[in-house]
Amino acid sequence: MQGGELRVENISKRFGGLRVFTDLSFKIAPAEILGVIGPNGAGKTTLINVICGKLAPSSGQILLDGRPVTGKPVHELSRRGLVRSFQQTNTFKSATVRENLSRAIRFSGSPISIWDRLTDLLKQFDLAPRLDEPSDKLPYGMQKMLGLLLAYTTRPKVLLLDEPAAGLERRERTQVDVFVKAAQADFGCSVLIVEHDMDLIRRLCPQILVLDAGHLLAAGTPEDVLSRRDVIDAYMGVGDDEEAAA
Amino acid sequence: MNEFISAGLIGVSLGAQYALLALGFTLIFGILGVVNFAHGGFYVAGGYIAYGFVSHLGVPYVIAVLLATLATGAIGYLFELFLVERIVEDHLATLMLTLGLYLTMSTGVLVAFGPESPQFQFPISGSLQIGKFHLPIENIVVLSICLLAIATVYLLMYKTDFGRALRALADDRQVAAAQGLRPRLLFPLAFGVACGLAGLTGALVTPILSLAPHVGDPVLATSFLIVILGGLGSIGGATIAAFLVGLVEAYSSVYLGGSKGALALFVLVLIVLVVRPSGLFGREVRGA
Repeated sequence: MQGGELRVENISKRFGGLRVFTDLSFKIAPAEILGVIGPNGAGKTTLINVICGKLAPSSGQILLDGRPVTGKPVHELSRRGLVRSFQQTNTFKSATVRENLSRAIRFSGSPISIWDRLTDLLKQFDLAPRLDEPSDKLPYGMQKMLGLLLAYTTRPKVLLLDEPAAGLERRERTQVDVFVKAAQADFGCSVLIVEHDMDLIRRLCPQILVLDAGHLLAAGTPEDVLSRRDVIDAYMGVGDDEEAAA
Repeated sequence: MNEFISAGLIGVSLGAQYALLALGFTLIFGILGVVNFAHGGFYVAGGYIAYGFVSHLGVPYVIAVLLATLATGAIGYLFELFLVERIVEDHLATLMLTLGLYLTMSTGVLVAFGPESPQFQFPISGSLQIGKFHLPIENIVVLSICLLAIATVYLLMYKTDFGRALRALADDRQVAAAQGLRPRLLFPLAFGVACGLAGLTGALVTPILSLAPHVGDPVLATSFLIVILGGLGSIGGATIAAFLVGLVEAYSSVYLGGSKGALALFVLVLIVLVVRPSGLFGREVRGA
């Protein structure tokens, strides 16, 4: 399967008088991985909510493979290959691991043969021996990886990952790398990753964007962007003394 | 001993009726997170629609029951599609909306048919003798249809893609939509099925019990009580709780008398909720 091209053009999102982000534009080419970083409240999750169709943008447009998909509902975009994961663990909680994956395969219309590939990933995420356990009884990290596998089963063209490493122990975070590489190898999908873990961003993302208070502060390679003073200040905060000195 | 067995049979018959009502109620809560205060209204509507077809249009009772089921299902579908869907995330608003629909339905029936109970008789009468027991045939027919309907609901929910999709939405609608499910298509259908079940129960039961504009009040209360006892949103819990409530009602009314019987039921529910606040089969944390 070919990865999709996602183009975001001049989108803004307001909630009443509150501007979450303004006039954002960027593009993810097929099979590209783009990281989005920024301090809490920068508008990163809202950006994912707008792209995946959960929220409508206040202005601007979103194009998937050149076709406008702005404001289309989540289920329709999912069927077109634009799929998201969630910051919190999001699985079908009353269902077992096996039922979770069976549901995702059935609902997304994926072939049953995808189980072959899933079996490998389930082993790597230590989920293989727990297929018949209810998903909400799994440790947090496993629930999170199961949530990512639910997105995987839809055979995404563009994958939106909202803080995939949040809450994972350090040793578990490399599983996110395994997941992203598997999704890219199997589907050639483009990936947008919102994340605070800079090691993970450096490992996976050749290009990153930095959002700060709803504006695009910087864009480029992690090496260039993460060494910029304004990016460091945005993340760490600028003290009153420093501002006064400046 | 005869009295004990007779009360048991009545309890099972009552339980089947309650189960049909409670299944609809718990489906709506489990899938949409909406407490449908109009559920009793759909029961009343089912009774009056069947009565109208039989008495005014001369339609055979069996056909009238089917039409009442379809009509209440269609009303429920449209109600969800055009009204509930707009505010489905706001639990207080849906509560007020469904309560408003119930008042509109019961008052509408009052205006259209008047406050008196109409003559609406079950078409079959007589009793079946099994050993020492005389069982009213109408109760056996209603019990059979209720059990068949309950089995159908189970098949629908656990053996079809429609049911799997509804259970997935009940679990977590965000995740389900991210897998490609369409909540705005499925929610009205679920609401329609649930209201159709209430309409079917009304069409079946009101010729045996009574039909009047406000017979939906106790129906709502009983459905609510059963669903809380069984565990909000639990299909299996609602079914078991319905039979439990039917049996407790039957035995307590025989051995304790009417008001003490009702008191016994509420005390039982209270004790269960103290021991298990999430009900007999409720999940402590729900994703829906």
